[in-house]
Amino acid sequence: MKRTVVTGMGVASPAGSGTDNFFNNLLNCVSGIRPIAAPLGDRLKLRLGAQVSDCIENSFGVRSASVDRFSALALSAVQEAWCQSGAANQCPPEQTGVYFGTGFGGAATVETGYTDLFVKNTNRMHPLSVLSAMPNAAAANIALALGCKGPCLTYAVACASGAVAIGEASRAIQSGAVTMAVAGGTEAPLSLVILKAWEGLMALALEDRERPETSCRPFAKDRTGLVLGEGAGALVLEEYEHARARGAPILAEIAGYGLSNDATHLSKPDAEGQAAAMRAALREAALTGIGANDIAYLNAHGTATKAGDQTETESIKRAFGEHARTLPVSSTKALHGHLLGAAGAVEFIAALLALTRSVAPPTAHLWQADPACDLDYIPLEPRELKSPAAVMSNSFAFGGCNAVLIAKSVAPSSALRAT
Amino acid sequence: MDNVLATVQELLQRHFQLQPQQVTPESNLADLGVDSLATIEFMFHLEEAFDVSLTEFRDPVQTVGDIAAFVRKAQLAQAAVSA
Repeated sequence: MKRTVVTGMGVASPAGSGTDNFFNNLLNCVSGIRPIAAPLGDRLKLRLGAQVSDCIENSFGVRSASVDRFSALALSAVQEAWCQSGAANQCPPEQTGVYFGTGFGGAATVETGYTDLFVKNTNRMHPLSVLSAMPNAAAANIALALGCKGPCLTYAVACASGAVAIGEASRAIQSGAVTMAVAGGTEAPLSLVILKAWEGLMALALEDRERPETSCRPFAKDRTGLVLGEGAGALVLEEYEHARARGAPILAEIAGYGLSNDATHLSKPDAEGQAAAMRAALREAALTGIGANDIAYLNAHGTATKAGDQTETESIKRAFGEHARTLPVSSTKALHGHLLGAAGAVEFIAALLALTRSVAPPTAHLWQADPACDLDYIPLEPRELKSPAAVMSNSFAFGGCNAVLIAKSVAPSSALRAT
Repeated sequence: MDNVLATVQELLQRHFQLQPQQVTPESNLADLGVDSLATIEFMFHLEEAFDVSLTEFRDPVQTVGDIAAFVRKAQLAQAAVSA
């Protein structure tokens, strides 16, 4: 079986865009969560959101105004990853695929159309509504911008979409179906309909009036829920020998990908289902010489809901046994919010950065420990990691799908010109 | 002076950041970087500018002059309906 390595990473997130900026903010607990401004905020009972404040224009010639925001965010993240990888003209277009995840796709475009028709009674919609709103628009725009002529696929697995897209892309490379892949996730859910729909689910965080940016508190006793955010994360994945031959920066290897489905409830998390996905990823990683004890950092799904964090605490214990007591775990959602279809990609990148820079981002705002969440959640301060061998990222979706990714470091001797 | 043509030219300049001398009646839209989707999107804005409906027409549009002709045809059709 061929090996998949990461040769490029890119992020557009509420906690900063560009991987350097993003990771520095995670280490320093700089939050991108804010009350959503009027007029949108005035319609909300729970008005928190995590917006990307950076400019997300790209140099591919695709104007952000001419596509839905979920595509624009994706293109911005892809541009960073593609440049870092130096991937342009390095692989036959037919051997290069695009694998992207999204939960809602172009929801804001659909909402604008409904507003035009039902509220403004214009009786006409923007003529590019179909091309903007379709869930595969982001993947298609990426393929068009980069000239990728291999498979161009979109995965809709709610909050696991980004992780699934990366995992499936990795498998496509391992099988030989493609040599290179642009993989990740993107989401732009900060429109009235989506925010209101979530408001009804009783899962959103209550606002801390004095310090609204700290309202999302994973694993803390005073946690009240998640904060919706927009963003995108993108990787360039590549077959190992191909990356080596062209002297690409080999950042890490995809060592494990595990999937499971709870089949117990549409939204209530299930510890056994989650543990099954972690075990599946660990079994695959074992084939590359990585054991459970080699996982040096785990980026948790950690949404900051009461049930979710407690269940994940339990599932980590079941999957890791004794190692769970000493394994550093954090949820970076406290700072970038829940990016839904982009979460798996952005958080896997946070884990990859922890691996390559030997420091784990903390769980921000974790001032009050919850006895029901009794693992090492790296409260408040980043943690130095000594020669980390591998990292894990968890993504658990509504619908019951659990997706887990493991990355391992690649020995410098085999990573020519690695940075 | 052809008001429709002048307005179309002006809107094209503004919408696609073009210079006046680029936008002659004979200018080919593709040469101006205005592809088929951009043309459709531009037509949408023209509907507002001229208060006409262009949705029912399928005439080929290749030049700036074609767009102006398109709008005039739609205006005539609309006038005929409301007459």
